[in-house]
Amino acid sequence: MNALSVKDLHVKINESHILHGVSFEVPTNKVTVLLGRNGVGKSTTLRSIMGFYQGTGSVTLNGKEILGMQTYKIAQSGVAFVPEDREIFASLTVRENLSLASREKDSDAAYKLVYSLFPELDTRAAQQAGSLSGGQQQMVAIARALLNKNEILLVDEPTKGLAPKLVSEVAEVLMKVAEHSTMLLVEQNLSLVKKIAQHVIVMDQGRVVYQGGPENLNDAAWVHQMLGVSGGHK
Amino acid sequence: MDTFILIGITGIGLGALYFLVASGLSLIYGLMGVLNFAHGSFLTVGAFVGFWLARTLGPDTSMPEFILAMIIGGLAAGAFALLVEQLLITRLYDRHIDQALVTVGVSLVVGAVLGGWFTNDLQIFPTPLWFYTAINVGGAMIPADRIVYIATAVLLLIANWALLKFTRIGLIIRAGVENRHMVNALGVNVRLAFSTVFFLGGFAAGVGGVLVSVYSNGVSPLIAGTYLIYGFIVVVIGGMGSVPGSFIAAMLIGVIRQFANYYVTGLGDFVVVILLAGVLLIRPQGLLGKVRA
Amino acid sequence: MLALLLIVLALAPLFTSLPLGKPGLQQTMAVAFIWGALALTYDLLFGFTGLLSFGHALYFATGVYVSCILINHEVVSWWLAALIAIAASGLLAALVGAASLRTTGITFAMVTLAFGEAGHVIVGKNFFNLTGGENGIALDAEQIPQFWIGVFNTKYIYWTALLALIVTYLVIWWVTESSAGKVFAALRDNEQRVQVLGLNTQRFKLLSFVISGTLAGMLGFVMLIAAGSAAPRFAESTVTIALLLMVVIGGAVTRCGAVLGGIFYSFASTRMQDLTQQEAFTSIPKWIGGPIAEPALLLGIIFIFIVMFAPGGLSGAYYRLRLRALTRKSS
Repeated sequence: MNALSVKDLHVKINESHILHGVSFEVPTNKVTVLLGRNGVGKSTTLRSIMGFYQGTGSVTLNGKEILGMQTYKIAQSGVAFVPEDREIFASLTVRENLSLASREKDSDAAYKLVYSLFPELDTRAAQQAGSLSGGQQQMVAIARALLNKNEILLVDEPTKGLAPKLVSEVAEVLMKVAEHSTMLLVEQNLSLVKKIAQHVIVMDQGRVVYQGGPENLNDAAWVHQMLGVSGGHK
Repeated sequence: MDTFILIGITGIGLGALYFLVASGLSLIYGLMGVLNFAHGSFLTVGAFVGFWLARTLGPDTSMPEFILAMIIGGLAAGAFALLVEQLLITRLYDRHIDQALVTVGVSLVVGAVLGGWFTNDLQIFPTPLWFYTAINVGGAMIPADRIVYIATAVLLLIANWALLKFTRIGLIIRAGVENRHMVNALGVNVRLAFSTVFFLGGFAAGVGGVLVSVYSNGVSPLIAGTYLIYGFIVVVIGGMGSVPGSFIAAMLIGVIRQFANYYVTGLGDFVVVILLAGVLLIRPQGLLGKVRA
Repeated sequence: MLALLLIVLALAPLFTSLPLGKPGLQQTMAVAFIWGALALTYDLLFGFTGLLSFGHALYFATGVYVSCILINHEVVSWWLAALIAIAASGLLAALVGAASLRTTGITFAMVTLAFGEAGHVIVGKNFFNLTGGENGIALDAEQIPQFWIGVFNTKYIYWTALLALIVTYLVIWWVTESSAGKVFAALRDNEQRVQVLGLNTQRFKLLSFVISGTLAGMLGFVMLIAAGSAAPRFAESTVTIALLLMVVIGGAVTRCGAVLGGIFYSFASTRMQDLTQQEAFTSIPKWIGGPIAEPALLLGIIFIFIVMFAPGGLSGAYYRLRLRALTRKSS
């Protein structure tokens, strides 16, 4: 079965109907990229999967229904979340940000993995997270998600607002992580998407308009039609 | 000069009482977004439980007995706070205005029940006699009870700092004050932090209630109202969610009030209130508070 | 339906053998009418415009004290004093509102609490030897028309209060039905949307604040007549909290609800205190009887119940029942 299965998801926020029957599958151990113009509901979809918003329909994680569960229980079921704008805790140290997220009893292996991917987090362990640069904060946000065993990683625009050099660094990390995980990634940076995507979902106006393989990403006309951008860097 | 010291230290003593009330209020609002109007009733519950215990233990209260009364009063208030949180607050999750309103209801009910059982008249709280002696500090004769208040407040501040810094629940509280939804998203049930904060806030208020009863020359359900208002003022000026902020603000307000009252009787309350309005209009997040999203 | 009730209420004092013909009940009802009207003014602020103010008592007290001081010191005639007091309340509301409305939500609630408390302190501590301190100021009966003085003239106080209630209701009805009123309601629900429409939300909030404060000032004058004195208890934050209770119990969104909540609350408080004096009551064991004697107990419990389970208050429940009855008829 697929790691994540979303069927006919309707979500209303403050009386605005944002998601109109979203349905898609996220295959296990692959990277699925969720594409679409700004405002079509990509972040809302991820946040609804995390339980931030109420909705109707069905969201199953490896067959288990998680729609309607409380957010912390959804996270404990194995859904790891890297939100848009990182949302790290500025007043806590780097180390504290990580230890808050760590739920495993035997976390040594996880920390080793995280520090091997992000050695800076080890050297800056006692630094207040609020004083980190954008790129470093993004590392904390991703590291947090990797500290526990997870069934799926939800990653929302990890390269947003980062300088090009950092974008490639984050991209490298994501690709390494993707080797052993299921990932649902929302990303606007097309070159990163082309490198990493194994499965593609496109949304428009709160609905899914395409689900399939990544072949069409190299077709500039298709990309322009689907996303309204030219097929290059942002 | 000794007058200055006297007023200053009595002001700090008063500030210590404000802090005991404010620390709980600050964390409850900072973490949960709940404006807890029932906090005054936690103070009253603690005061009356402590009062009952002290009275039962006999006419002469020794210091250990007094401390016991403080602790039991605090625990009773904390337990009551936890009850309020579990029965009422959790059911109104994220309905902040309704949560605030429900606490108003609780304060009325508690005031009515305790007033009905014990009457609203002031009843002297059994106190160790040495509280009424004066201690020489730098030439000024300070009533000893003020020292007790200050010591208690400092102890509470240190305990609070230690809890927040060194325990896991403290970590959760600190993170939750910043962004409780993200704490949930990390798989941590932030509601445990809610209960903890309510209990601890209630405990501090309960201990404060016992001390307030000594300071006010008696225990009565009617006293809590002023301290609740001052508690809110301290929390707002110090910054919501910041316990150190509350400490500083409480001391400042206590001292300012005493000095103002020294020059013109009754001016103290007025000055504090104008100070509050001023701070809110110039720096709404208070001294050490964060600008909330 | 409402008109019929009003006519009954207006004519009732003329029948001296009926309950409302007696001065005691007339006085209780007069005070209840004033509270009902005051609750309505608070409802405009909180129920309609969504502004949670904790300092509403300030404008009420301003009306009471300014008119009392002016009348006692024979500065102007009584009706001019009343007008000046009303204007003063309105002006104060404009000033405080302009400052407080720079904040929102909880901070706004705290600022209004602060200003309200400042007012309480001023009247309580006898500033400038004018405000009478803890005991307040007794109204000089010589300076007001005789038809308001004396036990047998209580019915005139009753009628005055009823008139004030009607006037308040009409003004607020007019305001809420006007286009400005629609903006107030929209502000309560979603301020951002109103801003997006290009409307200056600050001005509308301030308008609601000033109207509600001015009416409260007028009611302050009426309360002065009814109570015969100005007292610091009119300026306490407990007054505003009582108004909050009345509005929530009655139903925050409806006008009638707020009025009924106010009348019910005032009536119940007075009546319960009378009840506890009666003999049957003294036989109840103290640990039950004590708390029951306090009006706050029952009101607090009702309040909690309504907030938890029936947020629309009594009028909300009424409308829900009516709706259910109507839909049952049609199906």
